[in-house]
Amino acid sequence: MMAQQLAVGDRLEPVTREVTNDKMIEFEKCVWDRGRNSHSDINAAKADGISRTIASGQNQMAFLHELLEVNLRDGWVYGGKISVRYIHPVYSGDRLTANGRVTEVLEQDGKPRVVLQVWCENQEGRKTSAGTVEAGQPSPRRSWLDTPGSHAQ
Amino acid sequence: MSESESEFKVWESIPVGDDLGSLNYVLTEQMVSDYRRVVDNPHAAYPTIAARHPANLFYRKYASVMRVPNMGHEAEYFNPPVAGKRITISGRIADKYIRRGSAYLVVEATAVDDDGRLIERSKLVGLAREVGKQAAHDNISKKWGT
Repeated sequence: MMAQQLAVGDRLEPVTREVTNDKMIEFEKCVWDRGRNSHSDINAAKADGISRTIASGQNQMAFLHELLEVNLRDGWVYGGKISVRYIHPVYSGDRLTANGRVTEVLEQDGKPRVVLQVWCENQEGRKTSAGTVEAGQPSPRRSWLDTPGSHAQ
Repeated sequence: MSESESEFKVWESIPVGDDLGSLNYVLTEQMVSDYRRVVDNPHAAYPTIAARHPANLFYRKYASVMRVPNMGHEAEYFNPPVAGKRITISGRIADKYIRRGSAYLVVEATAVDDDGRLIERSKLVGLAREVGKQAAHDNISKKWGT
């Protein structure tokens, strides 16, 4: 089975997620506990010179990953590249939407690749992060869920 | 010495190519499921996003003198990590530069599991702030209006 191939100008199916204070705190603890910081603790934020906690950049990166996993599957997960800049703060209560648009289709080492603009925007339509992605064309497969220990759900 | 030069004194002392050493940890099933729950993505491939490999390697060596709030990220992903495997990360200072009066450090980390599978190579683009000085976050506050 072939997944539909992307062409220049195509938009990815967006992914929207709510950012809550509880999840900002949990994000700082999961996988590698970083203790209290400006993403999870108001006093730490004030000590850093900002008036309220802000979601970490990696939190936005997680949403961009979901966008790319859902739309490109193996095409992203095995060999994808991303470069993003965080350009506006994300707060508890924000509703972020991750977006992607194809800007180039090319071939690399005999394999089809796509280049995309990607960005997250908040509920007011303001971009909070922006960058570029290079990945394989969409695949029908999600091979990482077949790997023992991957905990497919 | 001008005020701006003194502001960058610690940043100037950190050389490009500086070896940040290595660390390792076991990515447990609990870590994977916690990450997937927190980001509302039951199929997330790279829970290592939350591990912040470059930042952890950098702060192990420089936490007492320098902070690097994350202004951007660049990464390449090769093979998703597998729960139960030990992951070894190694890092270096990949680049540094001054842009619009602010000093930046680019911190690179490479992650490999105990089977030798390359997982990811990621770069943190950090706005350098010497500990005890507010300059960098003042810039963030001005830029973001926080």
